[in-house]
Amino acid sequence: MKRRLTRVTGFTAVAALAAALVIGSSPAASAAGGGTITGKVMADGHASDADTVVYLAHVAGTFPGGNAEMDQHKLKFEPHVLPIVEGTTVRFRNSDPVPHNVFSPNFEKYNLGTWKQGQSKTYTFKHPCKTFPCVYDQLCLLHPEMSAYIVVLQNPYFAVTDEAGMYTIKDVPAGSYQLEVWHDGKLKAAGKPVTVVDGKTLTVNFTMQS
Amino acid sequence: MSLFSPKQQGVWLAGALTVAGIVGAASSASAIPAFARKYQTSCQTCHIMFPKLNAFGEAFRLAGYRMPGETPGMVKIPPIPLGAPAYKQLWPKAVWPGAIDSVPPFAMNIQFADHNESDLNPNGSVTNILNDFQFPTEANIFAGGTLGDHVSYLSEVTFGQNPDGSVDVELEHASLNFDSPFGPHDLFHFRIGKISPNLTDGFNEMWISTDSPINSVFAYDPIGAQGGVGLAPDSISPTPISLPTLVRGIEAYGIIDHRILYVAGVASGISPGVNRFDGNNAKDVYARLDYKIGGMGLDGYEKGNPPVDSWQDNSLRLGLFVYRGDGAGIDFASSDLLGAPINIQDTKYLRTGLYGSWFIGNLNVFGVYMHGTDTLRLLQPANDTFISQLSPGYDAWFTQGDYMILPWLQGTFRYEDLKPGDPTVPSLRTAVLNASMLIRANVKFMLEYVRDLRQGQNHSFDAIVRFAF
Repeated sequence: MKRRLTRVTGFTAVAALAAALVIGSSPAASAAGGGTITGKVMADGHASDADTVVYLAHVAGTFPGGNAEMDQHKLKFEPHVLPIVEGTTVRFRNSDPVPHNVFSPNFEKYNLGTWKQGQSKTYTFKHPCKTFPCVYDQLCLLHPEMSAYIVVLQNPYFAVTDEAGMYTIKDVPAGSYQLEVWHDGKLKAAGKPVTVVDGKTLTVNFTMQS
Repeated sequence: MSLFSPKQQGVWLAGALTVAGIVGAASSASAIPAFARKYQTSCQTCHIMFPKLNAFGEAFRLAGYRMPGETPGMVKIPPIPLGAPAYKQLWPKAVWPGAIDSVPPFAMNIQFADHNESDLNPNGSVTNILNDFQFPTEANIFAGGTLGDHVSYLSEVTFGQNPDGSVDVELEHASLNFDSPFGPHDLFHFRIGKISPNLTDGFNEMWISTDSPINSVFAYDPIGAQGGVGLAPDSISPTPISLPTLVRGIEAYGIIDHRILYVAGVASGISPGVNRFDGNNAKDVYARLDYKIGGMGLDGYEKGNPPVDSWQDNSLRLGLFVYRGDGAGIDFASSDLLGAPINIQDTKYLRTGLYGSWFIGNLNVFGVYMHGTDTLRLLQPANDTFISQLSPGYDAWFTQGDYMILPWLQGTFRYEDLKPGDPTVPSLRTAVLNASMLIRANVKFMLEYVRDLRQGQNHSFDAIVRFAF
């Protein structure tokens, strides 16, 4: 699997590093072979098609969590949507000259406190997720307008759409799966069954609607 | 011997308190959503219960309406440069480039009130006002921001609605500020215009959580044949000075080592004069020195990790201030103890005071003690022949506690005490109880009860809605 690296304007090197860390920590990504799922997601009625998570609902096997990073920069969370595998440790960094806080009101709830520029705090998403995806709102008590999402998934075969709505999931083991989508604007689209063949690229498009 | 019986004084004081309260409610409300738009950030970034500032908001204000450590990326609506940055290298052979906001930096604040009031009349009867829908009581138009590096501005026009349908319009603020034009950052700022002096802004507009102003400190009238008897009536001209909430002046201020604030200013004094803003050629001067222990530095500096909630600061701030003026040659029409007309000049007035603000957890307790002296010259009105001179002193103080019950709910209690200069007049004592609720970040609902503790039949209760956009 692979996240788009050029999907949004202002995508920072930090977020690219986070993507690399996620990829690097996924055992399946290092395996040779597998197929590719690509396509376009259209978010009907929304100004942007970005930030939709496309993922395989369930893949046999256990997938250890890795490391990922979310930054607070220019009074925004970067990236806005961060999919991870359950058990991943996310490092929250403050790159702004003002203090920031990170908390989530979801599931087990957490509040990491407040820290200054250059400092980081981590949180490991190991709370059992009964029904994937488990979506954690990321909020800042000092700047209520800031928000982001951490989407906890069962396996590392996921991608986030870019500004054009395009996504690509690579190195998917051959087999039959259910491909699902998640959008933070509450748009929905029915999942689609897919069959992945080694060395082949499968194109699957979605149109999300409210 | 006082001009009024104690009963009459109490009524007059209460009435003036109520009037001053309404008039005072038309004073500035300096929450300015233009900044929220500029940074695309919530009001709560800088405000506790707008317009009250949190520690970060105070640092923002003192920095010249910039975020401490601000980077260009934090400004979501980029300004329009009035010259390429390279022109700075060409100066003085080129105009130093500045910038203006690319969208008009305007904001509005509007206030409604359901007003209820009880007043004891001189004849012993009580006048009651019930559910007077004062929709609106006032509206304010703000503009504020930066003009490139080192320059900022703030302006405010206030429209106060009167019961007879007329509208009072006042250009309440108009200032041009030069922020850290030289030297270490934040060490030196100066501003010019019609301003809320930093002498009082720490405990007046930006910090007040009530609709009722602090009349004991700001609305006292020191003029009287034996000294002041209480609060100044509305629209008196010239306007006597206790401690001004607005001045026309020039002020320098700065922050030393993150925690020391110094202020020095010169301003027009008692006004207006005849065909002039200032009543005479003498200028008032003022100064203040604050020290903050703990919490966020006055420049936004954080030594340790800040509190999680934006209204918390865990700090103690202490200050000394002084205000001195000269009202020689400015006549106040008055009367002597026998009722004969006289003129009174306040030829020298001095105010000295202490300020303290303690933030601990969800509680903020703050207050001021001030002592004032006035040199009053009593003169014959026909030819200003000297009659007599006296130097009465007065004391005013208040203490207020704001407690955040929930992020959207705050309770406030304030006690005020004013011992007028006239020794025959008992102290004015007032209690204010307020509950404020943020219906939205920019919509505030308040219930406020104000009571004259000397005369319980003088009291008011208001339900107030205020919103800014």
